[in-house]
Amino acid sequence: MTAPTVDRGGDVAGAGDALAAEELVEELGGPSPLWRWVGTPVVLAGVCAALYVYVQGQDLDRIEEAALNAPMIRQRVLEHLELTAVSTFFVIVIAVPLGMLVTRPATRRLAPAVLAVANVGQSIPSIGILVLLAVVVGIGFEQAITALVLYAVLPVLRNTMVGLDQVDRSLIEAGRGMGMTARQVLLRIELPLAVPVMLAGIRTALVINVGTAALATFIGAGGLGWIINQGNIHDRTPVLVTGSVLTAVVALALDWIAGIVEDLLRPKGT
Amino acid sequence: MTDASRSPEPMIRLESLTKRYPGQAVPAVDGITLDIPKGEIVVLVGPSGCGKTTVLKMINRLIEPTSGRVLIGGEDVTRADADELRRHIGYVIQQIGLFPHMTVAENVGMVPKLLHWEKQRIAARVDELLELVGLDPAEYRDRYPKELSGGQRQRVGVARALGADPPVMLMDEPFGAIDPITRDRLQNEFLRIQADVRKTIVFVTHDIDEAIKMGDRIAILREQSHIAQYDTPEAILTAPADGFVEDFIGAGAALKRLNLTRVREVPLDHWPAASVHEDRARLRRLLAESEQGSLLLLDEEDRPLRWVTARDLAREREPLHRVGLPATAVVEPHATLHDALDEMVTSTVGCAIVVDRRGRYQGVVDLGTVTSAIDEMRSDVRRRDRAVAEAEAAPGDAVGEVG
Ligand SMILES: Nc1ncnc2c1ncn2[C@@H]1O[C@H](COP(=O)(O)OP(=O)(O)OP(=O)(O)O)[C@@H](O)[C@H]1O
Ligand SMILES: [Mg+2]
Repeated sequence: MTAPTVDRGGDVAGAGDALAAEELVEELGGPSPLWRWVGTPVVLAGVCAALYVYVQGQDLDRIEEAALNAPMIRQRVLEHLELTAVSTFFVIVIAVPLGMLVTRPATRRLAPAVLAVANVGQSIPSIGILVLLAVVVGIGFEQAITALVLYAVLPVLRNTMVGLDQVDRSLIEAGRGMGMTARQVLLRIELPLAVPVMLAGIRTALVINVGTAALATFIGAGGLGWIINQGNIHDRTPVLVTGSVLTAVVALALDWIAGIVEDLLRPKGT
Repeated sequence: MTDASRSPEPMIRLESLTKRYPGQAVPAVDGITLDIPKGEIVVLVGPSGCGKTTVLKMINRLIEPTSGRVLIGGEDVTRADADELRRHIGYVIQQIGLFPHMTVAENVGMVPKLLHWEKQRIAARVDELLELVGLDPAEYRDRYPKELSGGQRQRVGVARALGADPPVMLMDEPFGAIDPITRDRLQNEFLRIQADVRKTIVFVTHDIDEAIKMGDRIAILREQSHIAQYDTPEAILTAPADGFVEDFIGAGAALKRLNLTRVREVPLDHWPAASVHEDRARLRRLLAESEQGSLLLLDEEDRPLRWVTARDLAREREPLHRVGLPATAVVEPHATLHDALDEMVTSTVGCAIVVDRRGRYQGVVDLGTVTSAIDEMRSDVRRRDRAVAEAEAAPGDAVGEVG
């Protein structure tokens, strides 16, 4: 809210801040989809611009230049995106069918066991899984992906199960009662109606993976964690800041895309 | 009266149908045997938990019977392909169960689609069905269920069950979750539809009044779906088989019987009626010649418009369609005498106007009509009672029964 405009000069900055804060509030689940769709890229572009201005204003030494040059940053961002995309892909491919399986009447009794296993995956700290894997099977991209998948399966699995379970029993009965096969009921009724909840789980997995991918550098899989780590071991604040801010920007950008997908895939009429 | 349960060719026959749920001491349904005649509505009515839903779901095999058989059109369906079977049995559940992510058209066209009908044929069928249940296809076809009222949803549910024109319909408390006024209207509409489509319908309810209104026959069930009585509503109301049935019918059986006589079955009275476009002199003459104090004015299409008295006619400056009182208390021929009685109590002239399905004036029903209908029923009962008494008295064995 803008303060009463008695002192115009003094209020300008304050009004601007208030506006930015309002945008952020909208970001966190605000009401208007327009704001959610347009607000985030605007804010993120602003953050990137500010970061650019900040780095340009610094007098970079050799170590800093080795980390903060365009090809290097592009490579690390791409590595990060690849880690995230591939791991999320496998999470979906594993957790969605599994969730469908353990909500079928015949295999329903497996559900608690499957959930328990998935829970273990998530309750071990992610760095723990990474290191464990590095010790057991070595270092590299595939190990990093394995760790990320183990870590992020749970939200997708759980949401798939919840999403399918919350579909009104009477709809399933109506479907079977009119002669749909169990498979038709699953594909035409249960899954479409479970999509919003499932997508929410996938979005969570995506955010987890983006964050956890920053740790992949410790088993030699690169990503933005590498930049952060460089900043850390060489004690260079601009490098540290750049790595952290870029990680956050990538995370928010992916979450933004996931949000749009959620909006678009929500079944009509619900 | 012929025994209702022995009609020549039943559409559905239940043979010692039994369901025992795992881990339960007594069966939920214990060997029910029932013949459901073609083209009739048979109502299963009974207290909660007596197994009505279980019986219904065993017919379309949503529940597999523990033992016994279901014959539809003479064929044992207990071994048929269940999914294929269900596509040819309409099914309406209490929760309606419209698919929220599909439009009205998609919901109604679902079974034809499962049967691989062509798109155009499905679209035409959907429109036809929406018309049938009184929803304008152009307006409702593309709506989503949440954009409908409860009553409209229920109609769509019925339309959907009629999708592929199944010969058999199963309806589990289809009008349960609706307010009484809408329910009454939907019941009437459904009876009108049934008069056209003549499906064989098994209808479940726990409301005896609904059973009396909807049923060609009623099976009153007690625990475990044991049949207490299976007969026409008239026979059940007139001669309840035992105390259980009597209790279940409850008080006011005489008034309930008014629900059994439809307006079309009683002689209509004729009230002086004329077109609103007649000249006043003729209208006045008509009124003077009749013994009634008022005249019913009809519009171009013979639909009731106003009640006018001689004094209204004298107000020359006012156009005729504005004088007098609006013609309310209108019933259609399929309305029951109970409905008509209800209407006439609120009517200004003490009678209910009867119109045909297009709304054209047919005649009136007044209190006299209702009273003579009651008299007739009473004498029917007396005749029947006397016949029964004579039959019992004839063998001469003195059973000490208190009468
Ligand atoms: N899936 C099931 N498992 C075990 N018992 C069941 C199951 N379904 C129904 N029952 C039991 O079977 C009996 C009959 O149930 P049913 O649903 O057929 O009754 P109903 O006559 O339809 O009752 P209502 O009028 O309340 O709908 C009840 O005692 C019920 O508890
Ligand atoms: Mg029931």
